[in-house]
Amino acid sequence: MKEGEDGVNRGHKAGKTVAYALLIAYAVVSFGPFVWALLVSITPMTYEKDGQRVGVDIMQWPPKINLFSWPPKVFDAPATLSNYRKVFEVVPYARWILNTVIYAGLTTIGHLLFDSMGGYAFARLRFPGKNIIFTLFLATMMVPAYVTIIPVYNLMVRYNLVNTYAGLFLPKLTGVVTLFMMRQFFLNLPTEVEEAAIIDGAGALRRFFQVALPMAKPALATLAIYTFLGTWNDFLWPLLMTSDKSMFTLTMGLNFFRTSYYTFWQLMMAATLFMTLPMVIVFLSFQRYFVESGATTGLKG
Amino acid sequence: MFKKRKLREAIAGYFLASPIIVAILVFTIIPIFQAAYYSFTDYDALFQQKYRVRFNAQEALENYFFVSPDENPSEEELLSLFDPVDFIELAVGVDLNAEQKKLVKREFNAEKLIEDFLSRRLDKTFVFSDFMKDYMKKGASVFAKYVPDFVGLANFFEAFKDRMFWISLKNAAVFSLVVTPIQTLLAIVLAVAANQRIRGVKFFKVSFFLPSITSAAAISMIFMLIYSKPGLLNRLLDYLGVGPIDWLGNVKTALPSIMAMNIWTTAGYFMVTFLAGLQDIPTSIIEASMIDGANAWVRFWKITIPMLRNQIIFVVTMGIIGTLQVFDQIYFLIRNQENITISMYIYQNAFSYGKMGYASAIAMLLFLIIFSVTLVQRRVMREERF
Repeated sequence: MKEGEDGVNRGHKAGKTVAYALLIAYAVVSFGPFVWALLVSITPMTYEKDGQRVGVDIMQWPPKINLFSWPPKVFDAPATLSNYRKVFEVVPYARWILNTVIYAGLTTIGHLLFDSMGGYAFARLRFPGKNIIFTLFLATMMVPAYVTIIPVYNLMVRYNLVNTYAGLFLPKLTGVVTLFMMRQFFLNLPTEVEEAAIIDGAGALRRFFQVALPMAKPALATLAIYTFLGTWNDFLWPLLMTSDKSMFTLTMGLNFFRTSYYTFWQLMMAATLFMTLPMVIVFLSFQRYFVESGATTGLKG
Repeated sequence: MFKKRKLREAIAGYFLASPIIVAILVFTIIPIFQAAYYSFTDYDALFQQKYRVRFNAQEALENYFFVSPDENPSEEELLSLFDPVDFIELAVGVDLNAEQKKLVKREFNAEKLIEDFLSRRLDKTFVFSDFMKDYMKKGASVFAKYVPDFVGLANFFEAFKDRMFWISLKNAAVFSLVVTPIQTLLAIVLAVAANQRIRGVKFFKVSFFLPSITSAAAISMIFMLIYSKPGLLNRLLDYLGVGPIDWLGNVKTALPSIMAMNIWTTAGYFMVTFLAGLQDIPTSIIEASMIDGANAWVRFWKITIPMLRNQIIFVVTMGIIGTLQVFDQIYFLIRNQENITISMYIYQNAFSYGKMGYASAIAMLLFLIIFSVTLVQRRVMREERF
């Protein structure tokens, strides 16, 4: 018996070592590309060396990097944050941030409002045709976006909404997947509180806005984070809806640092990390919601 | 009283559900039917604006007759020279099909037009469809809106004969069949490793999750740097005596490079799903098997994998559906037409070549494929339940 336990422990220890090695190795693989991008983004395009302006070769090997000197050395040049400023000068980056915030913000507000309203109606209220409509909605989930984008694009062209905010966010204001999520949430909500409100004579609307919605805060937070993240990172729809540089979103703008002759790696990496940073902050502050919903999408039904 | 309450509940229900019902109807359900209709037509985006052509009728007629009203041409003479079909096709620049030609020949009010021409009432910009409303005795509605010709199953037959359709479909299928199993297995292995009562699980979870919250566009840019010929990957591989390889420029390596990038993006995300599933496995089962002498390899295949069955089905289905539709990475990183995937081919047909009817037909075929995948998933899940 004792021997058996020892065997288990030894196996456990070896297993743990392998696990650590594996996790650390993958953490390096996972982080590595971001770190490399960060190093390139803080490298100047040119710098002063022995009284002369010289260009920086970010493809040099081995890369002469010393982060413990001052100023830190990257690719043999003094590290600088100037690329992050330059991005705002060479392209209308501030405008693209604004566009992306408007696109993602309005889309998120739309989802919060309409998905929760619809989710509550489909979960709790009885109205004729409810089941047929809901089944129809579920069926649309299987249809790939590439089926609907062509007619929706044409609709936007017909109403002159290309290169407008309305063209960007209107088709994205609600979604069946998120409606389904909110409905599921309201279905799982205990009915007692609402029943008490019914006895008090509260109508359905009051029950929704004053009783159910305040209880839905965690679900709304998850919904908001996922919608904002998804829209912030969206590329296909802005690609179709914006052709005017002043209407670009951040994902659309990334193409701008690459010409057919030359790629401005330093600026491109600065722009890339700059647009990723807000999402990292959102993620780190709300990880609980990410990780939890990651767990719930791991299927419970 | 009871009835009244029911009615009020129904009204509230419709009120709350109406925004989403309208939105889904306008932006999803109606477009699905429209796309189905497009797929049986020769819908061409270049002709969308066909009847919205703007032109100055006075100038167009002067060019057509080589004469100006100042020269006092006689009405009869002009009438005898005037052919409305020629005028519309050559001077205005709108192509007509056989039926439209017949209709124009029969119903065009040439007398009125020539009269207006001679009295100089035409010197302004006309939109073609409005012009036809003014000068057709009957049937101007044909020109009110672009209506594509119905071509039956021609688009589908064309797709089956189209080499690029098969190449892009094959690329998407290969992409999906390579990426999905590897990312699933990698995610499971990482989850099992993180489930060993390890310190800093949170740190690992967060760092593995990072790529999946980064936009595909941004990731494409970072990997464009890493995959470039003098880039980081080739420098590291040089120590192993490999390369240098132009990863994205080479037809053979471009798609596998993007597959690797995709696995890197999603494996960590799905790892969190599996970790949640693993934490539901009672430790007593694992401990019992250890005492029975089962080694880690056996435990992995005989306990872990079967216990994660539900999560695996979910991750595999999501993986297949997601990877079949991969687009952003292809748009940014693929330079050779031989390497594009089906979603890219739909995009190119619809928005670069304007062949929206054909693009819709391919999209419908993609829908059929994804529909079948979902059906298989449903079947597998149902077996599980009973």
